[in-house]
Amino acid sequence: MHGRPRKPATPVDENASALKAAKIRSLQSQFLLNHHNNIYTKEALEINAKLIESNPEFMTAWNYRKLAFEHNLSNQSEADSDHIKSVMDEELQVVENALRKNFKSYGAWHHRKWVISKGSSSTERELRLLNLFQKQDTRNFHAWNYRRFIAGLKNISDEKELQFTTDMINDNFSNYSAWHNRSVLLSHLLEKKVVGYFPKEIFLKEEYEFVRNAVFTDPDDQSGWFYHLWLLDQTVKVDMPNLVSSWPPHGSEITKTTFPIVLFFNEPVEGVNLQTVSVQVEDAIFKNITWSLLSANKFKCGQAWLTHLTIPLGETNSSKIFQVKISSEYSQGIISSNDVPCSQHWSIEFRVSVCHDFQLEGQSLRRMLMTDENFCTVGINSNVMDLFKSYFELASDYEQPTSSKWKSEMIASELDQYRELLSWAECKIGKLTLARLLMANDAIGTTVAPNTSHVEEVLKLYSELMELDPAHYQYYKDEYSLAFLKQVTSSKESLMKYCGQYKESTSSNITGPMCLRLNSLSLSQIGSFERLLWVQSLDLSHNQLHSIEGLEALQLLSCLNLSHNKVGSFMALDPLRFLKSLRVLNISYNEIGAHTVDTRRYLCSSPLSHTFDYDKKFEEFATGDEKVLNCWEAYSVFGGLDIMQLDVVGNAAADERFMLFLVKLLPGLKWLDGEELH
Amino acid sequence: MADDGDLLCRSHADRGLEDQLFDRERHIRYLEMNYQILPSPYESQEINHLTLAYFIISGFHILHALDRIDREAVIDWILSLQAHPKNEAELNNGQFYGFHGSRSSQFQSVGNGVSVPNNSHLASTYCALAILKTVDYDFSLIDSSSISKSMKHLQQSDGSFMPIHTGAETDLRFVYCAAVISSLLDNWSGIDKEKAKNYILSCQSYDGGFGLIPGQESHGGATYCAVASLRLMGFIEDDLVSKCTSSCILDVPLLLDWCLQRQAVDGGFQGRPNKISDTCYAFWVGGVLKILGANKFLNERTLREFLLTCQSEYGGFSKFPRQLPDLYHSYYGFTAFSMLQETGVNSLNIELGISTIHHTNI
Repeated sequence: MHGRPRKPATPVDENASALKAAKIRSLQSQFLLNHHNNIYTKEALEINAKLIESNPEFMTAWNYRKLAFEHNLSNQSEADSDHIKSVMDEELQVVENALRKNFKSYGAWHHRKWVISKGSSSTERELRLLNLFQKQDTRNFHAWNYRRFIAGLKNISDEKELQFTTDMINDNFSNYSAWHNRSVLLSHLLEKKVVGYFPKEIFLKEEYEFVRNAVFTDPDDQSGWFYHLWLLDQTVKVDMPNLVSSWPPHGSEITKTTFPIVLFFNEPVEGVNLQTVSVQVEDAIFKNITWSLLSANKFKCGQAWLTHLTIPLGETNSSKIFQVKISSEYSQGIISSNDVPCSQHWSIEFRVSVCHDFQLEGQSLRRMLMTDENFCTVGINSNVMDLFKSYFELASDYEQPTSSKWKSEMIASELDQYRELLSWAECKIGKLTLARLLMANDAIGTTVAPNTSHVEEVLKLYSELMELDPAHYQYYKDEYSLAFLKQVTSSKESLMKYCGQYKESTSSNITGPMCLRLNSLSLSQIGSFERLLWVQSLDLSHNQLHSIEGLEALQLLSCLNLSHNKVGSFMALDPLRFLKSLRVLNISYNEIGAHTVDTRRYLCSSPLSHTFDYDKKFEEFATGDEKVLNCWEAYSVFGGLDIMQLDVVGNAAADERFMLFLVKLLPGLKWLDGEELH
Repeated sequence: MADDGDLLCRSHADRGLEDQLFDRERHIRYLEMNYQILPSPYESQEINHLTLAYFIISGFHILHALDRIDREAVIDWILSLQAHPKNEAELNNGQFYGFHGSRSSQFQSVGNGVSVPNNSHLASTYCALAILKTVDYDFSLIDSSSISKSMKHLQQSDGSFMPIHTGAETDLRFVYCAAVISSLLDNWSGIDKEKAKNYILSCQSYDGGFGLIPGQESHGGATYCAVASLRLMGFIEDDLVSKCTSSCILDVPLLLDWCLQRQAVDGGFQGRPNKISDTCYAFWVGGVLKILGANKFLNERTLREFLLTCQSEYGGFSKFPRQLPDLYHSYYGFTAFSMLQETGVNSLNIELGISTIHHTNI
């Protein structure tokens, strides 16, 4: 429909349009009269058909035809198949004429579906019609939808439909609607385990070749690349959920009698509970264990699951070593968000040595300074170091080698192909695909230890992309950060370079645990949490972080430096809620409160996201203080924590009133922005 | 191809600087012309008369020119299109009592016992209520309970909505209509929100966008219907991206990827992958980005440039650059400029599809 600006019309034009209007008006009033009086004669239907042919958008006219159709068939006392057929043919013809006038008419396509589902009609006729319209406009989604409808109704095999998409793509590989239908059909075939399409490696190889033709013909056309991305996703998708790491790690020895247990899976799972996971201390099975989810996704699944264990000490005063075993009792009960059960059995064993000296380890009340001057590398003999070592040396023992030979072969061959493409085509999406292939290649390697042989190349590709395509800078930056962290956390040796401890400024005493220093690396995102579960002290300062999503898995974290980042709101710090061991926190020099949209709009009036149970208490807390009501977000993040040292200076939100709020909220606070509280 | 490009560049340059601005006065004139008499190419849209009126009247409001209409006449005309049940019992006969799209689908009631076909439609009902809201009509005067009560019959067991009780396609468009009607009436009794939510979520495709029905190719308009409905029903909040997204019912990162990729190299938005930019998707997809709080990620400068190539010299906007304007694309051109915070243009309530109402202004 295109409205035309009015230009002076010639008398001839005016005459013609007046005639046309008169004709339509007369048809319309005759039709409405028939409709009103329930007249469904042949003549009445002809008037209606003429009206529809000139205006397929007239929905009332379609509805009348449905009434007429039912009326005329119900009058047949016995099934007269010839009569039914002629009535149906008539309807289909009217629809076809309407579609020729406007092939995007919702009403016409719907009427056809309605008629077809009333009874038999020839499949060939429908396919012929579809071919006509799908040739005319290859992206016409009415036609594609109708095609899926007919294929379902007439039980046309998915293979046949797949062949149709092949033909359409061969005509024009730029047709994303055809690629889309292809991915839908292949998913069906795989799901139904049709011979030739199951397991998926059978068709994936051919599909890679097929899409390669499109991509190599015109590397600047998007459709093929999108489909390639779907294929890559199908290739690397994990087949089943599995445990990838834990705290405490298998084979370790820890010295605290109350400690968190974290299970980290390769994908979000549900069903971690007393029935599926057993916790055994010496020979006794612990029955009063509650597993909880750290940061649920929409399916109530999560990668990280948490519980706390307290070793019952009994009467003995002497040192004793307890053997703890955590194992999958009924692994089928642990299922991924796609309902795939965890079928591998796993078990983690570690020792807890009860040594009273360690129980007395109190919190220092001195202010902790995380400065370069106070930083020193780790003494090789320290206790933490041992734990750290056991984590890396044994962590891989229960990583299950996947049946990934075909995957690595497939990806290796794709790598060769796309390296070749990039040798003659300057193409950003090609570079991006290569980077994704390289990461996929490392992720599914057959070796047990994480493979990072291609990370350097990946980092180089993302650096190039950041320059080449500044519009998507942030995306490349995020991917760069994740690849970089994968490399850092891949081995003990590479991690060691980033670890150290802090001395007290006045003496050379070591304060606090070993610290992982990932500062000043211009990271915009963090990841690889499964290899960082041991971290107690983490320095992420002077990066470009907007979010700390995932950090909640680091349950031992007691000291966190996030200063000089780009955190924009308290909600972005939400993962801190789960870090109950946190004592020292530095969020100074961020952008909290600098973005009005982030800080002023979700006050306590919003019951949607704030489903956790602070609401009542907050009301009491804020009673009589209008201004405190604006601090809901900060309350929800810090309210359940016992923070001793906090730095918030350098944020727009950190005004005087907010400082008073923090002092009231955190009774255990000793240091605020470097000043000792009394 | 290169020659064409040069030609375009030249003609673009020839048009001069004044063409590079949003021409509010001209747009108002364009709406006035259409307000007085609809051009003949709209004859096939007679059944959607109310929808065309919605584009014009809401368009005036966005352009701060609501004084150009005869408010009382508009209200009378719209109210005359409402279908009323004869009595309370009729409300349970399965029919929908909303608004008719135009006179031709409406019959004068007759007292002879013959059933009077009632063709009121969800989309027309949405447009009628949107106009009444725009002209600040007192909603307590509307028989809203018969709309809500009878709308319930249109919801299908899978959660989707049929637009008319005589039967038609069921998809996300009409879930959106039902949600926006409920929101405007402030009466949610006509919709099973939980079912509707599940239907919407089942329409999210593997690429992050939404199809009109489950399994369909993702589409900008369907994605708007999905996200705006969830927002109206209260299942999602504003500015999802600035928060932790892991607890959201939607796959927000994937949705965000899909939406952002719809901004094409010419700056405009496309409705599906690898299609050409079209004015209206600046609203459908841009609106989703706005609801998600992610509009800061789109390139506003190039979007504005694209939209201005679709601005007609007669006022209004066309679908593609340098074509004749139509009401539909004009309206979504105006809404796009509202989202771009053009001066002299009213702010927008994205999920309702109309301007923000300031009661004192009228």
